[in-house]
Amino acid sequence: MNDLEELKSLLFGAEKQALDSITERVQRPETRAVDVADVLPEAVRISHQRGRNLVGTLRDPVGQCIKDSFRSEPKEYADALYPVMGPAIRKSIISALRAFAQQINETVEQSVSAKGVKWRFDAWRAGIPFGEYVVQRTLQYRIEQAYLISRDNGLLIGHAHHEASRIKDSDAVSAMFTAIQDFIKESFSPDRSGRLETADMGEFTLWAVHGPHALLVCVIRGVPPRTLRADLSAILERIHFRYGDAVREYTGDTATMPGIDEDLAECLRFEALKAGEAEKRWSKSLIALLVLVAAAAGYFLFHSWQYGQQQQALAAVLDNTPGIHIADIERHGRVFAVRGLRDPLADPLDTIADRAGLSADRVVGVLRPFQSLETDIVFRRAEKRLGAPDTIVVNREAGRMVLNGTASESWLATTQQLAVAGSLGVDIDLSGVQSSDLLQLQIDAAKLGDAAFVFTAGSTMRDADIERLAAHVASLAALIKRAERLGVEYRITVVGHTDASGSLQANTSLAAQRAAVAVAELQKQGIGAAFIERSSDIDPGEYQAPKPELRRVSIALDLLATEASGRNGSE
Amino acid sequence: MTQVSSKVCILGDFAVGKTSTVERFVNNQFSDKYLTTIGVKVDTKELSLADGLILKLVLWDVAGADRFGELELNYLRGASGHLLVADGTRPETIESARRLREQAVDRYGDLPFVFLVNKADLKDAWEADDAEITALRDEMDDVFVTSAKTGENVAEAIERLGERIAAREFSL
Repeated sequence: MNDLEELKSLLFGAEKQALDSITERVQRPETRAVDVADVLPEAVRISHQRGRNLVGTLRDPVGQCIKDSFRSEPKEYADALYPVMGPAIRKSIISALRAFAQQINETVEQSVSAKGVKWRFDAWRAGIPFGEYVVQRTLQYRIEQAYLISRDNGLLIGHAHHEASRIKDSDAVSAMFTAIQDFIKESFSPDRSGRLETADMGEFTLWAVHGPHALLVCVIRGVPPRTLRADLSAILERIHFRYGDAVREYTGDTATMPGIDEDLAECLRFEALKAGEAEKRWSKSLIALLVLVAAAAGYFLFHSWQYGQQQQALAAVLDNTPGIHIADIERHGRVFAVRGLRDPLADPLDTIADRAGLSADRVVGVLRPFQSLETDIVFRRAEKRLGAPDTIVVNREAGRMVLNGTASESWLATTQQLAVAGSLGVDIDLSGVQSSDLLQLQIDAAKLGDAAFVFTAGSTMRDADIERLAAHVASLAALIKRAERLGVEYRITVVGHTDASGSLQANTSLAAQRAAVAVAELQKQGIGAAFIERSSDIDPGEYQAPKPELRRVSIALDLLATEASGRNGSE
Repeated sequence: MTQVSSKVCILGDFAVGKTSTVERFVNNQFSDKYLTTIGVKVDTKELSLADGLILKLVLWDVAGADRFGELELNYLRGASGHLLVADGTRPETIESARRLREQAVDRYGDLPFVFLVNKADLKDAWEADDAEITALRDEMDDVFVTSAKTGENVAEAIERLGERIAAREFSL
């Protein structure tokens, strides 16, 4: 050791030893770890109190450590978490199983009933599973009252209820519920960890939802779905969040929690109507529906009655209609279908419908043709068969068909033949019918009239009259042919005329000659002598001066009688 | 007008007249059978106090006992005051009431209370002498000699308790 070293030792010996000791401790990890371990807990505590820097710093490494530990030793962690996770998982499973069992029970119960069948149909229509539909329909409930109770002192914080609900002193109810809960907890939950969550009282169910500082107790009419508890929990959580310390430190002053009643009123919104209540709600609609149905029924009955009357009227008209025989009448809506027999000559259905007061389109027929022997139809059939011209008027008198008027000879002859043959089925009186041919013959005969033809002298006829005589005789011959066809007897009178000049004998001869000229002309036209009557007409005058106008021959046609006049026909 | 509510527990030994004392003055909500079944019955009483304060006392009538069990002590949780009742004809009930209060204080801390020495109508049969009452009054602020039968001092006692609670809880 030199002097300098010795001097240092004398001056700083103690400090140097301390420095060496510190240096040694710092350089040795073992001693440094011991030092840090001594101050670490306090250092962590102080750092945590000062702020969150330590948490932020440790988050990642600690998180990583936990992850690594989970991966490397999962069983250790599973064992450690078992006491915590087990009850939580069991509780969740039990809750789910209860809801499931409830759903199954209700589904089975409803599936075999008439209501179940209807619900199946409704579920099918709504497009949802049957089970889900059953749950919707079965869980009918309404929250009647909601109490918010301080867990610390049992004081009522808030209360909401439906107006119709019968309530006692809500403060007393709140306190009594708390007392009962304490009693139950003390009696049946040795570690006091249990909680009264549900109570059933007849038609009511009482649900208690527990929050950290307050208890939400709901009085529910009917059977609530389990999902309702989650809704109520949400409300209670919201209340805790909103009012915070006021809930925790509630001592009876509701002014510290303004608006709490409105929050509680939300609970009352949860409801699923009972069928009965739904029916009540729909009662007005039901009444309206019933009125509508009654009106429809009245309308239907009135129309049924009206249709009945119309059917009776139609049946009566059909019964009174000749040539129709009805088997039955059916109504299809507003149309009557008539089935039976109908003579083609019977009145058409349109006419019958009109007589029954119905429009033609409301009567249709399924009518098979037949031949009716009813008098009216027989007459119609005879009349149709006769085909009488418009100039004939047909009447029915005492069961006979009486015809009056004029008709052609041929129609008359045919009719007479039918009448005689009896094929018309009715007696026919033709006495009032005149032959239109005969009348025309008479008219034509009258038109033709008598005619005279002048001679110049002797038996020589004037040239002009010769031609006129030929024409007249031709017309006469035609008339005679028609008369003969009609069976009319006739006579032609030919008179030869002379004046008084000359001797009577000469005049008589001359008159005969003149008549012979006309007769010859008549015979030339084929008129038989038997139908010609000749005579002479000699002027008997005393004064014998010649009178040329008397030198003539006259021809007259007389229709004597007709075979057809006064005809009659009978069966 | 402000309406508030407070929980009050009625404490006392068997048959000191707790229920009878208050029943004429309170809104009876539940049957007395709860006292023998679950050990408590709740009534309410509204008091109109100064400054328009309406104080509704929720009275927990705890079944009589000379010492509370755990259940009864639970019933006292959250109370704002106590109504102690003793029977003047049985001086030991004064001690029971005092003991019950001590139990309550031990569990929940000191609270406003009034002390009712009941059955004033049977004063002749009292075994508690005036000295004992005087000592009680020295010990406590509010001691009332009451009669459940005549109603003597009951309303006053309840009202006094209400005032004390209001002063403590609602700064009246």
